[in-house]
Amino acid sequence: MPTIRMPQAGKAVQSGTVRRWLKKPGDKVEKGDILAELDTEEGFLELEAPIPGWLGRILVAEGQTAAVHAALAAIDETGPGHKVPDIQQQQSADQASAGEPAKGPTGTADGAAAGKVIPILMPKAGQSMEEGTVIQWRVQVGSMIRKGDVILEIETDKATMEVEAPASGRLARIVVPEGGVLPVLKPLAYLADNDADVDAYIAAHGSDADVQAPQAAEGLPPAKSTTPPTAVGTTASTVLESGRVKASPAARKLAAQRGVDLHGIAAGSGPGGRILSADVPAAGQSAGRRPMSRMRKAIARALQQSKQTIPHFYMRLTLSAEPMLAFYQSCKARFRCSLNDVVVLACARVIREFPAFRSRIEGDELVELPSVNIGIAVAVPDGLVVPVVIDADRLSLQEIAAQTKQLVEAARGGRIQGMGQGSFTITNLGMAGVEEFAAIINPPEVAILAIGAVREAAVVKDGTVRPGKVMTVTLSADHRAVDGMLAARFLGRLKELLEDPEQLAPSNEQ
Amino acid sequence: MHFDIAVVGAGPGGYVAALKAAQMGASVAIVEKDHLGGTCLNNGCIPSKALLASAELHHHIQHAAEMGIELSAAAGINWPKIQARKDKVVQTLRNGIKGLLGARRASLYQGCGALDGPGKIAVTRTDGSPEMILATKIILAVGSVPSRIPGWPDDPSVVCTSDEALHWKQLPSRLLIVGGGVVGCEFACMMQAFGVDVTIVEMLPQLLPNMDADLAMALARIFTKRGIRIFLDTKVEDLAVRDGRATATLGNGQSIDVDRVLVATGRAPNTARIGLESVGLSTDRGFLRVNDRMETPVAGYYCIGDANGRCLLAHAASAQGVVAVENALGRHRRFDAPVPNCVYTFPEVASVGLSSQDAKAQGLPVSIGKFPLSYLGKALAANDTDGFAKVLRHRETGRLVGVHMIGHNVTECIAAAGALLHQKVKVEEVAQTVFAHPTMSESLKEAAEDALFMGLHLPPRKVLRATAELERTPP
Repeated sequence: MPTIRMPQAGKAVQSGTVRRWLKKPGDKVEKGDILAELDTEEGFLELEAPIPGWLGRILVAEGQTAAVHAALAAIDETGPGHKVPDIQQQQSADQASAGEPAKGPTGTADGAAAGKVIPILMPKAGQSMEEGTVIQWRVQVGSMIRKGDVILEIETDKATMEVEAPASGRLARIVVPEGGVLPVLKPLAYLADNDADVDAYIAAHGSDADVQAPQAAEGLPPAKSTTPPTAVGTTASTVLESGRVKASPAARKLAAQRGVDLHGIAAGSGPGGRILSADVPAAGQSAGRRPMSRMRKAIARALQQSKQTIPHFYMRLTLSAEPMLAFYQSCKARFRCSLNDVVVLACARVIREFPAFRSRIEGDELVELPSVNIGIAVAVPDGLVVPVVIDADRLSLQEIAAQTKQLVEAARGGRIQGMGQGSFTITNLGMAGVEEFAAIINPPEVAILAIGAVREAAVVKDGTVRPGKVMTVTLSADHRAVDGMLAARFLGRLKELLEDPEQLAPSNEQ
Repeated sequence: MHFDIAVVGAGPGGYVAALKAAQMGASVAIVEKDHLGGTCLNNGCIPSKALLASAELHHHIQHAAEMGIELSAAAGINWPKIQARKDKVVQTLRNGIKGLLGARRASLYQGCGALDGPGKIAVTRTDGSPEMILATKIILAVGSVPSRIPGWPDDPSVVCTSDEALHWKQLPSRLLIVGGGVVGCEFACMMQAFGVDVTIVEMLPQLLPNMDADLAMALARIFTKRGIRIFLDTKVEDLAVRDGRATATLGNGQSIDVDRVLVATGRAPNTARIGLESVGLSTDRGFLRVNDRMETPVAGYYCIGDANGRCLLAHAASAQGVVAVENALGRHRRFDAPVPNCVYTFPEVASVGLSSQDAKAQGLPVSIGKFPLSYLGKALAANDTDGFAKVLRHRETGRLVGVHMIGHNVTECIAAAGALLHQKVKVEEVAQTVFAHPTMSESLKEAAEDALFMGLHLPPRKVLRATAELERTPP
């Protein structure tokens, strides 16, 4: 079959990037018809057909670049012999060839030279990431995507993240629907010019495709899948065309005991997605069970390890809150800060004076961080996250307020900043009315400060009782890094600052 | 005395490094054998801009009548006064640096510093007395000097480098500039405005060899129109000096008679005799190579600015100084931001990112958008319509990869382009940005639109049409 190649369209033209193909494989073209629009060094280029015929396989997809003289597509002078995957395209090609009987696939030689298929893999974001959950697809099957476009959002045990297209092309198939879970470096979707190429690719790359379940009836575009799975843990249907579910006998028995419908479970962990007994409880929603979310698992792991391996000790101190409140009232409007920001600022200043509180334990070593990085516990639906204010001691109240606001908003939006860089966390349940509480250290940090509510109390001073406002803070510290006297001095200094907060005012900053 | 950080050289790299180190709480010493401010302040950026400002004013006065300003007498050039004003500007800034260093309590050692074994710098003070400085981390910011051509006569009253030319007591009447790079072009422009007959001889096929060829061509056209003679692709084969005059023989056989020669062929690093061998450091063609963190192969030693050969520009040196200090004090910083390149001729030339030649050499698929200043309201209003803005766009990713501008005040526009490039924006986003009207910077937006075939203030771009090549495979 003749090939059409990139012409030398102007002196300085070295290559052309296909902006769009105006003809599809199988389309009949006349000599001089514009086949494609290309972007070149010299400008916009309309590519004309050199001979009449039928457009064959397209070799350079939209968004891709071809050097001058490189092959762009095949053209067939004898008829629409090219294997066209899409039924509609096939029909239009048939009509175009006016009565000439469609030959069907022109044989194995052409079919074997499968078009380019690019799998889009679940990224491995960080050493510990093993699997990810698809939260949302931002693109639809069949759409053209460009390299660098954000095409989906995934959730890992640490954060949610956006996944960019690794290449440009047509999104031929989505393998893992929203809500589906997939191990890292397994295909989430495929880019290809036509769907038949994807089937050929999957057939040739069996191991990568084992998470792949057969799509619904042949010929139907995959996007039209009738029952979009919603359950967490589903990937794709394991229901065979016969209606039988692929599952082990043990799994069937367990499912019957628990009242779980195996049809509701998508791919299992066995070969070819076969459901094993281990997969059954995870899907058993009817029994009031549900799997932990990524985040819950992460919290469970980190805090269990912390509570069990870190020798915590606790120290409580109640301070007079009136000066702090007055200071806050005077700053509130100017700096748009919260009371918590004032506490963060005071802690940052104190940590600057107490290097032990900006150190971390790594094995048998104490590592002092070069900067004061303070974590702030933020409640989010189904858990909590700890974004970190970096270099907090170099920031003014206004900057801390602005950064905290941005960090909290980002965290609630699923993006946690500065994660794992802190040495000290502040957790505040004052707004929930809690008087005091003791928190678990967020490893690998060395301490956490739990802030209670500002409350009215009878204050004894110089032998008389008067009504006043107080706040109780509770320090949980790692005894391996911090001793009692040091912690006491730390809290004492914090009390001093918060009871005379003018020391925190901008004019007193260095 | 022992310091956290010692800096050798108080140019725009060294003094900024010292200030940064002090700001971060380190104790810091800085050694300078000459005036504070280095080449930039004493023999480079600042004095040349002061002289160029006078030259440009004179140039504008020549065109005053076009704008309805009529002068009763011709404008005269008082060269000693121009020089004195320049010296005053330089002195003011030197005092400024001294003040800043003092305010941050950086210890200034006036004298010649050389490494003397690990962690030690031997300083020979200006009065000859020796002193030893000890430091945990040492930053070398020793700068460079103008190259001279070996074998040429070295009569400094005739054959000069920029070091002398900035302080000439008298203007030449006929000047030969060897080298059409940034220094050569700035001097050519300045001297022509002061009425000097100027010839530039450049060995390579374009002026400003490191910049986009379109910029160089535009500048060459403007220079030629003003009467500057330019020989490209031409070598000076021989130079003879007799009785205070020079005769140059060019590669094309022509000979030129002048009363002064400016050698502007590049700069050589100042890395000799600074004791590098005492700590095991060595140079590569004179340059002390460093990684992106400004670290030399020997731990605790950093090299910034001209001496590391990465980018011989003052602002690059300053940025590298900050990176080196942050790394020396335990942070992790890389020097990876795009660095703009500016030429202060009138019109000015400015660029950031890849040139067309770079893109071609790297095989990047780019498309080009261009906007001539003759279409721009602000340029017409200012009676300064020479020049254009040019934008390079990666065709597959849509990203902005280079911006090149020539025109009135464009060095002020390039910062915006640099920021956009650093943010890795797409050209589409540049086109969507609202630029104030009328400004010179608008040309950047217009060029971005042109790169997308979306320009509204230009006639529609011609669409190329070509027939695809056909290859018939033998049956």
